[in-house]
Amino acid sequence: MRIIGVASLLTLAALAGCNNEARELGPSLPQTAPAENTDPRISAYQSNLYQVSQGGRYFSWYGCSACHSDSAPGAANLADGRWQRGHGFADVYRAIAAHQPEPAYGDVIPVEQLWQVTAYVRDLPKHYPEKRRRVSLDQKGEPQGSHWSGPQ
Amino acid sequence: MTPDRSLIEQLNGTWRDPPGVWGFLTTVDHKRIAARYIVTAILLMFLAGMLALDMRWQLSVPENTRMTPQLFNESFSLHGSTMLFLVSVPLMEAMAFWLVPLMLGARNMAFPRLGAFSFWLYFGGVLTLWIAHAIDVTPDLGWFEYPPLSGPAYSPGHRADIWAQMITFTEVAALAASVNVAATILKMRPPGMTLARMPVFLWAMLIASIMTIFSMPAIMLVTSMLISDRLVSTHFFSVAAGGDAVLFQHLFWFFGHPEVYLIFIPGTGFVSSIVETFSRRQLFGHSVLVLAILSIGALAFGLWVHHMFAVGLPRLGNDFYTAASMAIAVPAGLQIFCWLASIWAGRTWFPTPMLWVLGFLATFVIGGLSGLMTASAALDLQLTDTYFIVAHLHYVLVGGAMFPLFGAFCYWYPKATGRLMSELWGKVAFGLIVGGFNLGFFPMHILGLMGMPRRVYTYSPGMGWETLNQVATAGSAIAVLGGLVFVANALWSYWRGEPSGADPWGGSTLEWASASPPPAWNLAFTPVVASLTPMWNGGGALSVMDGISVGKREVLVTSVTGAGPLYRQKSAAPSVWPLLAALAVSAMFLGSIFTPWAIPIGTLPIAAALIGWFWPNRPRAKIGPLKAMP
Repeated sequence: MRIIGVASLLTLAALAGCNNEARELGPSLPQTAPAENTDPRISAYQSNLYQVSQGGRYFSWYGCSACHSDSAPGAANLADGRWQRGHGFADVYRAIAAHQPEPAYGDVIPVEQLWQVTAYVRDLPKHYPEKRRRVSLDQKGEPQGSHWSGPQ
Repeated sequence: MTPDRSLIEQLNGTWRDPPGVWGFLTTVDHKRIAARYIVTAILLMFLAGMLALDMRWQLSVPENTRMTPQLFNESFSLHGSTMLFLVSVPLMEAMAFWLVPLMLGARNMAFPRLGAFSFWLYFGGVLTLWIAHAIDVTPDLGWFEYPPLSGPAYSPGHRADIWAQMITFTEVAALAASVNVAATILKMRPPGMTLARMPVFLWAMLIASIMTIFSMPAIMLVTSMLISDRLVSTHFFSVAAGGDAVLFQHLFWFFGHPEVYLIFIPGTGFVSSIVETFSRRQLFGHSVLVLAILSIGALAFGLWVHHMFAVGLPRLGNDFYTAASMAIAVPAGLQIFCWLASIWAGRTWFPTPMLWVLGFLATFVIGGLSGLMTASAALDLQLTDTYFIVAHLHYVLVGGAMFPLFGAFCYWYPKATGRLMSELWGKVAFGLIVGGFNLGFFPMHILGLMGMPRRVYTYSPGMGWETLNQVATAGSAIAVLGGLVFVANALWSYWRGEPSGADPWGGSTLEWASASPPPAWNLAFTPVVASLTPMWNGGGALSVMDGISVGKREVLVTSVTGAGPLYRQKSAAPSVWPLLAALAVSAMFLGSIFTPWAIPIGTLPIAAALIGWFWPNRPRAKIGPLKAMP
């Protein structure tokens, strides 16, 4: 009996572990900024690989990668795991939305995309530099910041 | 020569598997291994068929909400990957495993334990894809997963890795199986069965195996490159860093096109066997058939670019591959006319297996003609990625390979089980499947010409596609119903069918000399062959020779061209090492989805399993080879 119990628990754990692959393309987008670092909506973005990778695309679309490269010094380096304005989800979100120096990206980027960019930025320190470089090379053909070539 | 009772008992004792679960895990009996392959593949065919029906449901009306776009992507990817990699190719290998030793009058395959290893590794691939699907990590990029879409930037997570490793599993299994089949056919033919007296079926299996050996390394290479791009950030397909995304397509289709033919060529082997038996005459144009299969096998490697006409290759390349693709119609047409001539000139009768041959001829010719259309680069630019291609590929794969396979299933079912399938329900299933298939897929030609693209999860009302889509859905449902009747008939007949005896059809080749179902040792004596149709000796008995040990597992090895007896070879006994080796290889493949360290660390248990496998367990032979017969 115990074996069956343990096995079913392990199975459940395995099932739970794989939710990060889900791609729910539905209308339930966040309309507002996260209230605090424990906002219940966070995990749908932070623990979803698709949302994080979409955030990565917006990160280069909005030109973030121009300053925030892997070789950027000090606070501009987002991959070094040191956070000047706190590393909680709401902290990072606020830092992007009220970006210093200007522009404050809260005025530029739609709310859901800000959620995705936040999730991406918080995910950056988990990866090796070569992986980040490999991904950005694949996305080199996409519009980037001031070289925007997409729809106006 | 009829074996006496004590001989049979001795053979039974020598070739017996251990009882129970241990015997199940350790068996090296080619028939048990093949039966596992077939049962697994048929279950998967059912599951992937249900996916197809689900997709047809989604497409039956415009703007249907049965499926989300993501679910539709997952469904067609899983359907295609399963049908190509886990059903078609393994089923053909399974038929070779089951039939080749019987048709050679041999006791087992050349490498019995390698056969068991093939199955376990294939089964690992099945579990990889479908357990991943059960926990919602389903590949969602089609059955070919082109980068950069499948690269690290656009496919986060492990969906693409699961697909790529499933390929590695099945391709290693297929390579092992092909080496086994080719070695068995070349070195274990009965005395007298020279290459010129080899039945078309064995030629087809030999050529398909050699094609597998040449084509599969390309796909294993390319999926491994994809995995290393994703896992350790190499730059094979990263265009901005000097990589080449089109390289993936070239390597994929360098495998992908031969793959289509190595599914089709065993089908021609089935058709040849069935036509010969039921037309009651030696096949018309045996040498033409063999040469046609050989030239299809050779041409198959020179026309992969026709899958890539829309990529934008040089004009001369497109022209060359258009010509090469059209050239394939010549050998294919020669085959069709040889079968038609045999049917025409023989005293033909038409039980269910023969009906499947007729279904194959009609359906495959339609698929071949639409193939000629898509072979033209100019026309293909219009047709590519439309439903016309969906229609074409199903006509050639289902019509060209699955219908012969269903016929082969009905034809050899009495040999495998000792019972006849119901002719009435066989004919009902045939009518439903062939009728439903044509009703379901013929309208897709027209839909494609009307511009309906492939791989769309829905379409707008007012496109004019509604009626034909509904017809297609109805046809698919009828075909699935026919499939259920077919399987129900097989299951019912397994317990309730009429006993068939050893040779219910009056077959022409050696497998009909054994009892039905064949015992573990196949034939009591080694047959001696003097013609293409050894069972049709003008009424005379089959000549046999003795001399192979009955007290230990032994097989006869003969020369490659003349099939002269060379020496007696010990044949491997049941062993658990193939299973353990397959488990160790599976652990490494699965681990390498997550970390590159799985490869160096994972080789250690594989090495241990292989050392156990090859541990010498008998003294060196004291006798040299016999003198080869001229």
